[in-house]
Amino acid sequence: MTEGERRRAFAEAFIAQARSDWRVYRILAEREEVPSCHRLHYLQMVCEKLAKAYRLRDTKSPIDELVSKHSGFSKFVGPFFTALKDEYSGKDEQLRGLIQRARTLAREIERLAPAIDRSASPENAEYPWERDGTVTAPCDFGFPSLQLLTQPGGRAFQNLIERALDDFEKIALP
Amino acid sequence: MARTKDETALDLATWHFGVEPELARVVRIITDNEDEPGEPIKLLEVNAATVATGSVEPFAFAPSASVPFPTTIAEVTPEEFERIKRNELQLPIGWSLAKSQLFERPRAA
Repeated sequence: MTEGERRRAFAEAFIAQARSDWRVYRILAEREEVPSCHRLHYLQMVCEKLAKAYRLRDTKSPIDELVSKHSGFSKFVGPFFTALKDEYSGKDEQLRGLIQRARTLAREIERLAPAIDRSASPENAEYPWERDGTVTAPCDFGFPSLQLLTQPGGRAFQNLIERALDDFEKIALP
Repeated sequence: MARTKDETALDLATWHFGVEPELARVVRIITDNEDEPGEPIKLLEVNAATVATGSVEPFAFAPSASVPFPTTIAEVTPEEFERIKRNELQLPIGWSLAKSQLFERPRAA
C-alpha cells in the first residue's frame, strides 16, 4: 500500500466511524432516560474522528501521528466554514454568531475527552473525577457548559457537524 | 471574468476578516509550484479565537463557486504564530514563511 493509499484508507475509515458514532449519538439524544454523559461521549468521539478524517485527507500530515493523537476538532471548525461560504453570502452577521457559538461548543466538547485538560477541567464524559474533595461520576453530572446544545444555537452547531459528515466526499480536493 | 488565484486569495482573506472578529492576520503561503494546476491556496490564519494545540493543522477544501481554487487553511493562535516565527513550531510539510504574502486585518473589519 502506498503512502497515499494508506492516507485515503485511514481517512475513509475515520469518516465511516464518525458517521456510525453520529447515528448512535442521535439515538441516545432521543432517549431522555439515558444520562447525558453517554450522548456527549458519542458526540465527542464524532467530532474527534471527523476532524481526523479531514486532517488525513488531502494533506501531507504524518499519518501515524494523526491516528494516535487526541484533539483537533477545535481547529477544524473555523476553516470548515470556508466550505459554506457560498451559502452564507450576504449573511455575515448571522455567520459571525454561528462561528462564535461553534467555537465555544467545539472547545467544550473537546474537553469531554478524558485526556484533555484534566488538571484545569477534570469533568469528562467517561470517567469519575475529583474536584474540591468531591468525587463525581459522569452519569450524575449535568454538564451545564453544554446545555447550549439543546437550544437553537446548539442545534445549528449539530447541523454543522452533520453537514461536515455528509459533505466529506463532496468537498474533497479533485 | 474569472477571478485569478491572487484575487481569490485576497477575497477569501477579506471575507474571513469580516466574519472572524478575532482574526488578526492571514498569511498566504506561496510555494515554488504555486502556478501548477491543483496547487491549493494555502492560508495560515492567526486567530485569537482558536485553541492553542501546539501544532499547525491544515484542512483542505475543494473549489466552489466563490472560491474557484482548492484551498488549504490552518489556524493558529497569536502565541503559536510567534513560536512558528522562532522555529519552535513546525509548519506543514512544504510550507514556509520565507515566501509568503501577509494580509493584515483592515482597521474597520
